Amino acid sequence: MPLDTSTYNLALLRVDGRRWNELRQQKAQMGVQPSADGSAYLEMGNTKIQCIISGPNERDTKSTSSASTAPTSGGQGATVAVSIMIAPFATVDRKRRGRNDKRVQEMQTTIASGLAAAVQGQSYGPRSTIHISLNVLSQDGSLLACLINAASLALVDAGVPMTDYLVACTAGSTSSYAAADEEADPLLDLNTQEEQELPFLTLATMGATDKVVAMVCESRVQLTRLEGMMATAADGCKGVRDFLDGVVRDKGELMVQEGAIGRGEVVSSMDLD
Amino acid sequence: MTSLKRSLESDPASANFSSKTYVRSTKSGKVQKIVREVYLRQDIPCSSKLCSRCRNTAPANAVGVVSPFVLSDKPAGTKEYPQGHYLVPDTNALLNAMDLFEQSTAFYDVIILQTVLEELRNRSLPLYNRLIGLTKSEDKRFYVFFNEFRLETYVTREEGESINDRNDRAVRRAVQWYNSHLAQTKSKKLPTVVMLTDDRGNIEKAKAENVPATRLREYVSGLENGERLLDMIVESQEKGISRDKKAADLLYPEHFSLSKMMTGVKNGMLHQGIFNVSPYNYLEGSIKVPAFPKALLILGRDNINRAVDGDVVVVEVLPKDQWKEPSTKIIEEEAVTKNENADGDEGEDLVTEKERRALQEEVKKTHITSTEGRAQPTAKVVGVIKRNWRQYVGHVDQSSVSQSAKQGRKQESVFLVPMDKKIPKIRIRTRQAGELLGKRILVTIDSWDRDSRHPIGHFVRSLGELETKAAETEALLLEYDVQYRPFPKTVLDCLPKEGHDWRVPTSTDDPGWKGREDLRPLIICSIDPVGCQDIDDALHARPLPNGNYEVGVHIADVSHFVKPSNAMDHEASIRGTTVYLVDKRIDMLPMLLGTDLCSLKPYVERYAFSTLWEIDADANIVNVRFTKSVIKSREAFSYEQAQLRIDDASQQDELTQGMRTLLMLSKKLKQKRMDAGALSLSSPEVKVQMESETSDPIDVKTKELLDTNSLVEEFMLLANISVADKIYQSFPQTAILRRHGAPPKTNFDELSNQLKIKRGLELRCDSSRALADSLDACTDPKEPFFNTLIRIMATRCMMSAEYFCAGTQAYPEFRHYGLASEIYTHFTSPIRRYADLVAHRQLAAAIDYEPMHPAVRSRGKLEAVCKNINVRHRNAQLAGRASIAYYVGQALKGRVADEEGFVMKIFSNGFVVLVPRFGIESVIRLRDLAEPEPDSTFDAENYVLKTSGSRDLSVELFQKVIVRISDAKDEATGKRGGQDGAGQGVFKNGRIHALDRVGTI
Repeated sequence: MPLDTSTYNLALLRVDGRRWNELRQQKAQMGVQPSADGSAYLEMGNTKIQCIISGPNERDTKSTSSASTAPTSGGQGATVAVSIMIAPFATVDRKRRGRNDKRVQEMQTTIASGLAAAVQGQSYGPRSTIHISLNVLSQDGSLLACLINAASLALVDAGVPMTDYLVACTAGSTSSYAAADEEADPLLDLNTQEEQELPFLTLATMGATDKVVAMVCESRVQLTRLEGMMATAADGCKGVRDFLDGVVRDKGELMVQEGAIGRGEVVSSMDLD
Repeated sequence: MTSLKRSLESDPASANFSSKTYVRSTKSGKVQKIVREVYLRQDIPCSSKLCSRCRNTAPANAVGVVSPFVLSDKPAGTKEYPQGHYLVPDTNALLNAMDLFEQSTAFYDVIILQTVLEELRNRSLPLYNRLIGLTKSEDKRFYVFFNEFRLETYVTREEGESINDRNDRAVRRAVQWYNSHLAQTKSKKLPTVVMLTDDRGNIEKAKAENVPATRLREYVSGLENGERLLDMIVESQEKGISRDKKAADLLYPEHFSLSKMMTGVKNGMLHQGIFNVSPYNYLEGSIKVPAFPKALLILGRDNINRAVDGDVVVVEVLPKDQWKEPSTKIIEEEAVTKNENADGDEGEDLVTEKERRALQEEVKKTHITSTEGRAQPTAKVVGVIKRNWRQYVGHVDQSSVSQSAKQGRKQESVFLVPMDKKIPKIRIRTRQAGELLGKRILVTIDSWDRDSRHPIGHFVRSLGELETKAAETEALLLEYDVQYRPFPKTVLDCLPKEGHDWRVPTSTDDPGWKGREDLRPLIICSIDPVGCQDIDDALHARPLPNGNYEVGVHIADVSHFVKPSNAMDHEASIRGTTVYLVDKRIDMLPMLLGTDLCSLKPYVERYAFSTLWEIDADANIVNVRFTKSVIKSREAFSYEQAQLRIDDASQQDELTQGMRTLLMLSKKLKQKRMDAGALSLSSPEVKVQMESETSDPIDVKTKELLDTNSLVEEFMLLANISVADKIYQSFPQTAILRRHGAPPKTNFDELSNQLKIKRGLELRCDSSRALADSLDACTDPKEPFFNTLIRIMATRCMMSAEYFCAGTQAYPEFRHYGLASEIYTHFTSPIRRYADLVAHRQLAAAIDYEPMHPAVRSRGKLEAVCKNINVRHRNAQLAGRASIAYYVGQALKGRVADEEGFVMKIFSNGFVVLVPRFGIESVIRLRDLAEPEPDSTFDAENYVLKTSGSRDLSVELFQKVIVRISDAKDEATGKRGGQDGAGQGVFKNGRIHALDRVGTI
């Protein structure tokens, strides 16, 4: 068995060989499901997410029964409906989750209300719904953050207007709550092992700004360490945003090359920021 | 359709990226496949002060601090490596010789590879922790190099390659890289990086790859004091693979595999528990398992199957026809196996003829009595879950050392006889047998293989001549795992800078005064034993206008000086308690705090934590409050002085009046406690009087108890109970409390049976009240000590009290059986007990004096603290007693004393006598009574032993005998002690002549 997180201080290296402020390796692709209105695939380390967008459609109460919904534009715009499916093979132990898993529902709600803040829903009208299905194929920490990032990317692919990417990242601290170590370093983008052993939070910001859209912290952490962790997570969000933007631009370039859109159109629609 | 699959080569980052897959099995036996990412990088420094390139890329932590480089630029050289060298041990080297690496004479500049660290952690967590400790010590210069994360040194496991081969290859690769990396520094004096291993195959491969490598043994013998160090290398690894084991050589049955044991335990076929050896018979062990109310017996070497006292083992219950009675015979390993040869092990049966004979009589008897159903279930050990081996102190058995070895330097096997009689003899190989004779030495057990009758260990260090005060004291401290090293600098740095000049700030605006009450006007005094320096507590009482009394207990405010989670707190939590030996005190906190700044010394102002009650004249509590305060003690009394002052009617000052009030109230409190069913238990307590200058013991006295002792005790109990209530109300999950479980009824079976048969008395143990009453009734009009004797014996049937975290038990379980209190904690001695310090912090938070520190709030952390201090507390008690026993032996040196004793326990070939005057207990064997050993008949039902032949007498339980205690050094065992000698049996027997050691250490 490999070492645990307590060895960080020996050489300032984390359990997987990263430094405190490094993100894991990320991979992303847009339009992985051509039959859908929008889709994306995102990997952050070994956490692998597929996101499928359908809609905006007319509201269909049957299909949103297990999803969490949130209205955009103060009730004037389309509704965002998020449903998460965690594949039974996503975790180390094969495990089937029920539809009413409370943790999953909480994540759905967080994502829905976060995205509702980013989506410019008024162009669709209040009776329409954007369905966001998130499939977790493999799970290795920072799950909520990855889900948010994958949904953002898929929404761009679907062409849903947004003010900016909604990006998220986790941050932790090298020492547990009880250890009360004053010199604990903050850590960026935790994997499963780190999440199990250390306190951490998930932070979602609007693009590269420091505007916090959502923050979730379920572990006990000293108040004094919180600021450092949040700053680290915000830095991580910037990194994720740059990465996602790069993916979108590459995709745009490819579309131009393939002649899917004309050059003139590209400039106006891709110059969102 | 787009494909998600991408080739690895197309990704520019793939060169720096790898993943690690491994399989692990969970506790429930499930197999899991774990995949981990591995990020390879090139900015992991070599940490050599010679290297400037690495310094440029060295990583910084979040605040930008770069860790200093560890490895010296001028490492020590040896014959082989005159330019100096850095060592890279492999896992086996560390497993076999961790003691060597901890030496201060050699083994500096060591590179620990991540591969090795991981492997070591899997193999042995204690060794891993010791190694981590070493890497933190600055002067040893140990550096952990994360080779698995460095691009150049990462190796992938090849097909068909075993994990061990892969790890060995990783070590060689790292050594190779280090050498080539250092070569680029262009240093004139280039140190060699040397791999240290015991694996022959690895060495050969290293030679082929041109990697500098050496065997541990060769390396050590090349060192200056090599010979002494050689003994520290684990013995069993020596022979290694070369020795093929024939089935016939295997003496012991094989242990079950872990999974087989786990399955067995789960389905109830096997039982898990902690193995305990009987102090009177090394071939008899017992194990308490949850499935049975009574302990299971484990008899004979075969069934014990290499378990050592304290191991966590799994046992299988034997069929009913093999059930036996617990032994009634004293069997001492020393005597039975005296002439065994440490070197020759071949062709011997597991159970020697002598041992068989010793057990023979047991069997005979079982056949007669088993029909009566007194036989107990027996069991055999089928496997060991966890060894609880520690370092053992003992001495070399003289008879196992050959004559030639006393001069020469030949390596030979000798037996080490541990001080703890429950531990079997340990075989060690040494080149310095001659020198070790007559010394106290420290050894560890390395292994106990099936083909070896005795466990095999190795020498760690010598403590000094047997019987010298220094060696014996250190031996005692080691044996009871007492941390006695001086406080490290980091701890001393936590002390107030003013040192002894620290004073309570004069201005009440000072932050130190915040939230404190000014109790300086109160007439407070302290009452402690003579010569007490660490004064924890002080008291006061004064009448209130409404006819009630205000009583205050003021406790040293240690938590003001020891802040949570700093180095001093950490050290104190490890030490757990102050240990009092006869001539020495091993402090929990540095002297400056314990005996000065915290100590509530008279005439000076001190910070205190006060508990103040309003108590009415019948000692009912009207109300209670707690506050941090500043006090000024008026006087520090000894118990005797306080007693004299109270008794002296001419003293009418306020202080004496206060003490009289306290005494009056304490008597009422005590009565209430007794009515509630509190037990007054007893243990033989003696005090050793020392000559003031040489501190040689001169006499032994039993401790006297005065009214003032009980005065202080009552109020301390009251304070503890009040505080326990308060912190439990505020922190129902995390309050640190102390409980004393009700003893299971079966514990008293034997004692009550003995009382019934011998004296016709009944012992009831339904409740503590019933027990207290029936103990009161156990008197013998002719013999006042009889009651105390029964109390001593009853005490041994009790559970031991323990600290716990409130959330771990249900409220009814909180009960303190002995004190008959619903809830209890320790609050009154924070200078010498860590639990009290935690209680102080919790109480401070409960009264909103300061916010609760996370370390005091985390239940997991507190549970760990409780576990540790429970062990430390027990060890401190045992060490204290052992120290007294040693000094009693010393005090009796060269004297012969006839003393009264009482028979406490009776065997078929001897009996145990307690001598109250010296508080010692000792075995008298039949062969001590007369030469030749008299014949005997033993009536187990009536606890009577009759001897005939060379001496005729009859000994029975609880009988008063006169024994002669004389001092004799037993040459064979090297132990100092007394001998029980001739004396008159008071009741009816004639002269007893006995020879035995007392006060063995």
